[in-house]
Amino acid sequence: MAAKTQGPAVGYTTESTRTLLRVVILCFIAAAAISSRLFSVIRFESIIHEFDPWFNFRATKYLVANGFHKFWDWFDDRTWHPLGRVTGGTLYPGLMVTSGAIYHALRTLTIPVDIRNICVLLAPACSGLTAFATYLLTNEMTTSPSAGLLAAVFMGIAPGYISRSVAGSYDNEAIAIFLLVFTFYLWIKALKLGSMLWGALCALFYGYMVASWGGYAFITCLLPVHALVLICMGRYSTRLYVSYTTWYALGTLASMQIPFVGFLPIKTSEHMPALGIFGFIQLIGFIQYVRSAISGRQFQTFLVTILVATFGLGLLGLVALTSLGYVAPWSGRFYSLWDTGYAKIHIPIIASVSEHQPTAWPSFFFDLNFLIWLFPAGVYLCFQDLKDEHVFVVVYALFGSYFAGVMVRLMLTLTPVVCVAAAMAASQILDTYLSWKSATPPEEQEAPKKVKGGLRGSDKPNVGIYSNLTKVMVSGSMLVYLLMFVSHCTWVTSNAYSSPSVVLASRMPDGSQHIIDDYREAYQWLRQNTKEDAKIMSWWDYGYQIGGMADRPTLVDNNTWNNTHIATVGKAMSSREEVSYPIMRQHEVDYVLVVFGALLGYSGDDINKFLWMVRIAEGIWPDEVKERDFFTPQGEYRVDEGATETMKNSLMYKMSYYNYASLFPAGQAADRVRGVRIPDQGPVLNTLEEAFTSENWIIRIYKVKDLDNIGRDHANAAAFERGQKKKKPTKKRGARVLRVD
Amino acid sequence: MRILSSIAPLLLLIGGGLAKKAQADPYEEFNRLAQRSSPIKLNDATYASLTGAPRNHSVVVLLTALETRFGCQLCQDFQPEWDLLGKSWTRGDKTGESRLLFGTLDFADGRETFISLGLQTAPVLMLFHPTVGPHAAASPEPVRYDFTAGPTAAEQVHTWLSRQLPDRPHPAIKRPINWIRWASTVTLVLGVGTALVSASAYVLPVIQNRNIWASVSLIAILLFISGHMFNHIRKVPYIVGDGKGGVSYIAGGFQSQLGLETQIVAAIYGVLSFCAITLAVKVPRMADSKTQQVAVVVWSITLFLVYSFLLSVFRVKNGGYPFSLPPFM
Repeated sequence: MAAKTQGPAVGYTTESTRTLLRVVILCFIAAAAISSRLFSVIRFESIIHEFDPWFNFRATKYLVANGFHKFWDWFDDRTWHPLGRVTGGTLYPGLMVTSGAIYHALRTLTIPVDIRNICVLLAPACSGLTAFATYLLTNEMTTSPSAGLLAAVFMGIAPGYISRSVAGSYDNEAIAIFLLVFTFYLWIKALKLGSMLWGALCALFYGYMVASWGGYAFITCLLPVHALVLICMGRYSTRLYVSYTTWYALGTLASMQIPFVGFLPIKTSEHMPALGIFGFIQLIGFIQYVRSAISGRQFQTFLVTILVATFGLGLLGLVALTSLGYVAPWSGRFYSLWDTGYAKIHIPIIASVSEHQPTAWPSFFFDLNFLIWLFPAGVYLCFQDLKDEHVFVVVYALFGSYFAGVMVRLMLTLTPVVCVAAAMAASQILDTYLSWKSATPPEEQEAPKKVKGGLRGSDKPNVGIYSNLTKVMVSGSMLVYLLMFVSHCTWVTSNAYSSPSVVLASRMPDGSQHIIDDYREAYQWLRQNTKEDAKIMSWWDYGYQIGGMADRPTLVDNNTWNNTHIATVGKAMSSREEVSYPIMRQHEVDYVLVVFGALLGYSGDDINKFLWMVRIAEGIWPDEVKERDFFTPQGEYRVDEGATETMKNSLMYKMSYYNYASLFPAGQAADRVRGVRIPDQGPVLNTLEEAFTSENWIIRIYKVKDLDNIGRDHANAAAFERGQKKKKPTKKRGARVLRVD
Repeated sequence: MRILSSIAPLLLLIGGGLAKKAQADPYEEFNRLAQRSSPIKLNDATYASLTGAPRNHSVVVLLTALETRFGCQLCQDFQPEWDLLGKSWTRGDKTGESRLLFGTLDFADGRETFISLGLQTAPVLMLFHPTVGPHAAASPEPVRYDFTAGPTAAEQVHTWLSRQLPDRPHPAIKRPINWIRWASTVTLVLGVGTALVSASAYVLPVIQNRNIWASVSLIAILLFISGHMFNHIRKVPYIVGDGKGGVSYIAGGFQSQLGLETQIVAAIYGVLSFCAITLAVKVPRMADSKTQQVAVVVWSITLFLVYSFLLSVFRVKNGGYPFSLPPFM
């Protein structure tokens, strides 16, 4: 549809041929987008990746098995033991409902598909749709017929988007980026036409977006900023009024239907810009109406003053309401985007997540390749004929690149605008240099009338390119860049973004692939050898996987809503056994799971994450856990002979290195991650016993011992077992310590 | 040293004597002082009597070195916060329910105390728990506050104190309203507003100039995409030596970068974008065919060379990257 309205007016047959060609090309683009995301399925198997997707997968299974109403009211007592989680009210249900709907649709068509395969392939399927949405959005920006297709292709294979949407990466972002781009397209369409219908559609997809991803706040803030910039530029129009008002009213109502969002849109600061601009635009609309009815210069000045004053007063009122506590101030995650030092001091749990780190420049190039330098050129082109929709691209580009610079994860929201802008620049170059018509010198040499406020250098008429040699040269080099882009994307996707991280791959000396499957081995062990309700304590990273794969209750998981509970686990991990044991008893822990990569050289293990556990625990118990104690006086973080006493006595250290030295000949024990030698005399565990260690020692599981039968404390009992003589056989010390719980 | 070590006990004796003199209740006496100005300014003698062994009150003392010749930046920074804390605690606790006294001992007034405590660094913040009375602590030894976390705000010390002194009132910190700042802000805003309105004939064309907005936006975007925010958050060094007396411009490793390095990258991106803009916008508008040909050749070769250089820089950061363009292979 949109394709038909584009392009020069040509004969009917040519036009339909073009349309057909476009459809075919778009289908190819979608196919390329989908197939480039299938590396992991082909290399490994159809498996859910990483951590969060395991929860989404578990929730989807619950939804499919129990129906929507039960899902909505789902109270999950198998996570956050002993608190439980009101899952139905604390998640974004869009993703699960989407795959549930697909599942049921396919079942009605009598196509029996496993829900797991739908979940694995949902993200690639959506990437095809995202490419199409980008095509539509770009076509709104430029008249060039090729820009949209280029943008679609860029979006389809840009690593910045692939990183979160490979097959198996069943995360909210999988569908959210499609919704983001499509909502923007509908917004531009509504703004251009001043149409209530398009505005309502925009609100509908905005509602869907709110139901799917917490990143909806990006839309909630970007659209009002766009509207405000347009108003400041003196571009207020009834089109803007109609589209913004429709979007805000319906979109806010839609977003409030999600239990997790509820009344946030009128209570929290990140939603206030949208509300403020809504009020402001009403005021302007009213004043415009009055102005058209009454004339008089003084009256107009008066009105402008009122306008400015109201805006200022509204802002002041917001500040006052916030400081009085009626409006919640910016929540931690959002606030840390502005005050970049905030999270590190106040919320270590946010700072600890690797995708919340700032972005170094290589990541930009890695994720966007040559688009990154076409992007500013595209933004410049937007300044050329600065229409309303171009203002949107500029605003989006500025905010998007700022946020992407602050947080690696937000590269995802930058990628669409980079693709759109870069496609505009690339298509401008290609259109100019691929045209076979040789330029004719402008006949009339009269100076073109100066357009007020235009860009420098673009006021002269466009004559085209004279020489064919230069045309070949530029198009040739563009072709080289495009080909390099494609191979770059393939290489990046294949090497960096296609590892499920549940299954690891390594190369054998003869070059064949060797699969390291310790995670699933350990989870399978838990599933088969422990009680149905055995509580597993591990660091929060593994909570979702244990819930999904081992189906056992966990203490903490990746939904980091309760800092204290996480800190409790951190304290248990970082304290002495005597301190940890009562904590574990109180939380009815049966097994403790640690990830240990020293044997294999797997760097993402718990010893490397350990300092975060210490920091988070220190945030709650500053007197009992101190980060300083884990560093040597020289300020080093060591695990070998020179480790501090606190480190050596911490539960995490003991569980990681327990019996590790016995794998090696005397004096040879080495940690291949930290590259140090480990003392032969390993740590002694009294309150835990080793239950399971996976093939490559990546996962180690310990069973928490029960209280001693004859009332000794565990250290004594364990010493007795080892055949050591009791020091004071007459005094039974310490039994009282254990009975306090 | 020997003289000092013999003086120290002497001082303690004097201190003990003083304490004996004020035997009635040293707390009452110091509390009266504190109501006038808190924290109390101490010297060697008053320090000893305030922290003397049988005490039924808590004392928190800041040992500091304010004189500029010691160059203690941390002391200078912390002093106003400390005064604020002492003042608002004493104001908030007029009845003395928390039985906590604030004292400041400057090195100039309390050299002997510093020496007897063996202090090498300042500031040191010590909390003495009472030895008798309902809140008596088991050990008479003071608790020290850890200043390692950098500049310390009054709120942090307040939290620490509240944790150390449970089941007692903890008067909140009341920061005085900074009238001067408010006044100057309001004046500034009004002044700028007036200036803008009166000079609008000159300012408006600048604000409405599309070229200015375009260049500002492009520069901002270039800064952000070349990792400026990373520098800002991580506080990376601008430049480091390579260990051989030279300078290394590019940090090895994918997740690290130098200040200068990001500027080089921003410049590269800028040149590349400029080439693309010229080829897309400027060149097709040249009326003369010869000039146009030269321009196309120059700009597309520049584009090619700089892109090749960018790829070679990227290969430094990411060792396994397989793609390159001549001539920087």
